[in-house]
Amino acid sequence: MTELKLPFAMAELRPALGEIVRMGLQHAPYFSTLLSSRHGLTILVDNREERVTERPPAAGTVLSAFDGATTFERALGGFNREEIRTAARDFIKGISFQKYTPQAEPERRGDFVTSVQIDPLELSVQEKLDRCREVQGRVKGRDPRIVNARVLYRELNEHAVFADASADLAQRVQRVGMFVFVIVAGPAGDVRYDVLVKSGSAGWEVLTWSDEEIQNVVDGALALLSAERIEPGEYRIITAPGVSGTICHESFGHGVETDMFLKERARAAHFIDKVVGSPLVNIADDPSQPGSYGSYFFDDEGHMAAPTQIVENGVFRRGITDRYSAAALEIPRSANGRRQDYSRKAYARMSNTFFGPGTSTLEEMIAQVDHGIFLDKWSSGMEDPQGWGIQVTCHYGHEIKGGKITDRVFAPVGISGYVPDVLQSINAVSNELKMDGGTCGKGHKEQVPVASGGPHLLLTARLG
Amino acid sequence: MLNQIVAALKKRSDLAGWTVRHVQTSGAQVYAVPQGIESQRAVDGERYLIDVLRNTSTAEGAPAVGSGDASLLPGENIDHAIDQATLVAGLVANPVHGLPGPAPLPDVPLCDENLQKDASSVMLAVMEGIRTTAAKHPNVRLTAAECFGELHNTHLVNSRGIDAEQESTQIDIEFVLHSQKGDRESETFDAMTRRRAADLDLEVAIEDRVRYTLDSLEAEAPASWQGPVILRNDALTIFMAGDNLNGSVIQTLASAESKYAGFSPWEVGKPVFHGEVKGDPLNVWANRCLPYGSASNRFDAEGLPAQRIELIRDNEFVAFAASQRYADYLQMPATGAFGNIELPAGKTPASALLVEPHVEIVQFSWFNPDTITGDFATEIRFGYLVQNGVRKPFKGGQLVGNYMDALANVHWSAESGFFGAYFGPHTARFDELKIAGEGE
Repeated sequence: MTELKLPFAMAELRPALGEIVRMGLQHAPYFSTLLSSRHGLTILVDNREERVTERPPAAGTVLSAFDGATTFERALGGFNREEIRTAARDFIKGISFQKYTPQAEPERRGDFVTSVQIDPLELSVQEKLDRCREVQGRVKGRDPRIVNARVLYRELNEHAVFADASADLAQRVQRVGMFVFVIVAGPAGDVRYDVLVKSGSAGWEVLTWSDEEIQNVVDGALALLSAERIEPGEYRIITAPGVSGTICHESFGHGVETDMFLKERARAAHFIDKVVGSPLVNIADDPSQPGSYGSYFFDDEGHMAAPTQIVENGVFRRGITDRYSAAALEIPRSANGRRQDYSRKAYARMSNTFFGPGTSTLEEMIAQVDHGIFLDKWSSGMEDPQGWGIQVTCHYGHEIKGGKITDRVFAPVGISGYVPDVLQSINAVSNELKMDGGTCGKGHKEQVPVASGGPHLLLTARLG
Repeated sequence: MLNQIVAALKKRSDLAGWTVRHVQTSGAQVYAVPQGIESQRAVDGERYLIDVLRNTSTAEGAPAVGSGDASLLPGENIDHAIDQATLVAGLVANPVHGLPGPAPLPDVPLCDENLQKDASSVMLAVMEGIRTTAAKHPNVRLTAAECFGELHNTHLVNSRGIDAEQESTQIDIEFVLHSQKGDRESETFDAMTRRRAADLDLEVAIEDRVRYTLDSLEAEAPASWQGPVILRNDALTIFMAGDNLNGSVIQTLASAESKYAGFSPWEVGKPVFHGEVKGDPLNVWANRCLPYGSASNRFDAEGLPAQRIELIRDNEFVAFAASQRYADYLQMPATGAFGNIELPAGKTPASALLVEPHVEIVQFSWFNPDTITGDFATEIRFGYLVQNGVRKPFKGGQLVGNYMDALANVHWSAESGFFGAYFGPHTARFDELKIAGEGE
């Protein structure tokens, strides 16, 4: 059984939150407090140096008051009881709130902890460093063209306590990730690299590497030394689960964050219960998915995690919400009110967003493609909720010819197009579901941990 | 508490060096939606960041150095934090490196005086400025805006005698303009980071975005294109300076850390280009002294004074931007953090660079080249095809190519501008770039 392990100052302050909430409710129609601590560890081991560093910590208290029109917040670093009581009293004093009756919410109480088998908080730094060294040692000597092999371990320890009139919640969310980078140099000094990532809301048990996986990263990096740029045009493509997830994330992930509906920035707002993709398309967001990197038990506004079916058999059903947009749009809430940390406001944000699996096998899908591209690995994406344009950049892809994947590699490969056209073109979906962890911004800021994924997809899109 | 931490560190005989930073932030945030002010926030933060160095040895017994760090909130246990950092420092054995010593600090202007006095009032005024200016244009609506203003104070002390303080302000704004014509909708988004409200130039920014929003209603997908591509102002800034998510190609390849890790093939005294340079010669500085530059400071996280570093002179690489650690590893001068990108003015008037035909890219979805290889394939959010006296708007298509190849064939304008993290020519004509559009 993994323990909650609340930081001492948070645990000490928690019993006082009920009183602070009651004080806030004497003036504000709705009042809540969030104690949030995000800290972690980064370990880097490569051929030339080792570094063990704290991840930039963020720990503080958010006092929120809401009157149906405006959210007023006071955010303070740390968990000093007297400072917070004083701040709560002072900041609501000067506000004239509108009359507002908040949506009734069920009682929510409890402590929640990510289930882990090998708890990072139980391992010493020495043990973690040694494990990183062991992985790095298995990578570095595999080919003379490797100029560096880098293992990067990232651990994120999140604790939150939330209280409002009907909630007293605490959670510990444990996230881990490990990146294996292989950097190679060609005869002309040109540098290429490949990377493989493992991550999850989990412990060290998910950070194991087979020799085959390690060799695949080395082979991937070496293959990039002879990669070509793809001839721009429309292609039949098969996307690996990570690429599928990025398409999902950028299209019906960001595009259905309902704060964007409120700001008239999301075209999806006009498509509720309308067809937006082929009947094979199912998209969901689920913060309660066990083990996925973007999981949590309740969001930063105290709403309990549960799945949201966004697209069902090609029909757009609903978006994902934060408190403000749900109230303003008068729609049911989902558990997607998330903050980068205590110093930022909550927005409607994704958690684990994915295409649902289908019934095809990958082999069947590849056999259907006479001339096309298998997109192995994504590197980035950017949303365009209003224009429904799509930008997904893939680190590389392989040629498919005559129903077989060849050794010909293209890098990088950009996918672009109009979201409904891309989703309509999906005509086969494989029968597995894999998730990739990562970090998501709202535009160019507000970073939160998320996961995206899905099965392999067979579709048509423009590549460049 | 800073004095207590320094006293505790001075007592430690097991440390080869230490740095402590007391960082205080305070700020105001205002968010608007079409219906009004969505949220108002006041935010404070304070913490102490401790970095320690410890003498260790390699497996072969050679002298080495390990580093560790820890952070503290006010009131937390100082000795425990130092013990943790020291323990970690003892676990690693890196090549011997040290900390910078005291040096004169330049006087770099970094503050908006009004923001220092009252961040909340300044941010409400900036928001009102955005709303009022946008409201002058009946064909567009402001559908979202965010204004952040922050005051940062840093007091740094290290074991070699640096004792330095700096104060800076930062303003981040975003706004979205929306327009509709029949069933066609368009929007444009702008984000700016500046030190001072006076550098936001909201009137001009909003005027430009209004024009783009309206023109975007007429935009179609582009045909494929190979030839001159113009980048100006914000689009050129993103191209040259990157953003806070991706950084920039030049920053990555010119960093001593990248060199040490094997990511950067650049060598001092050698050309940065593989092939023929057809355009203007490339000259680049990394400048932390730029007045009110968004990446400027008086000293960096190690305490190294701000400098203006010549990186590239006439296409030849001159110097790496090096922290003390990587400077010691590679035995080169320590320059400190990278800072802003600065280029000298070109020789051609901007008007002469705009000869037809050309494509002008106004906004990328996200210009995010691979910062190691320089390869890019990036979607175009909005641009113009300019030929036969007509500026035809388009959206979509991808700009594909390689960053350094693009810089080998570019002409810079004689007129310069200041854009937060970039100071240099405001217009660039890349003579031979490719846009993957929809058909020929």
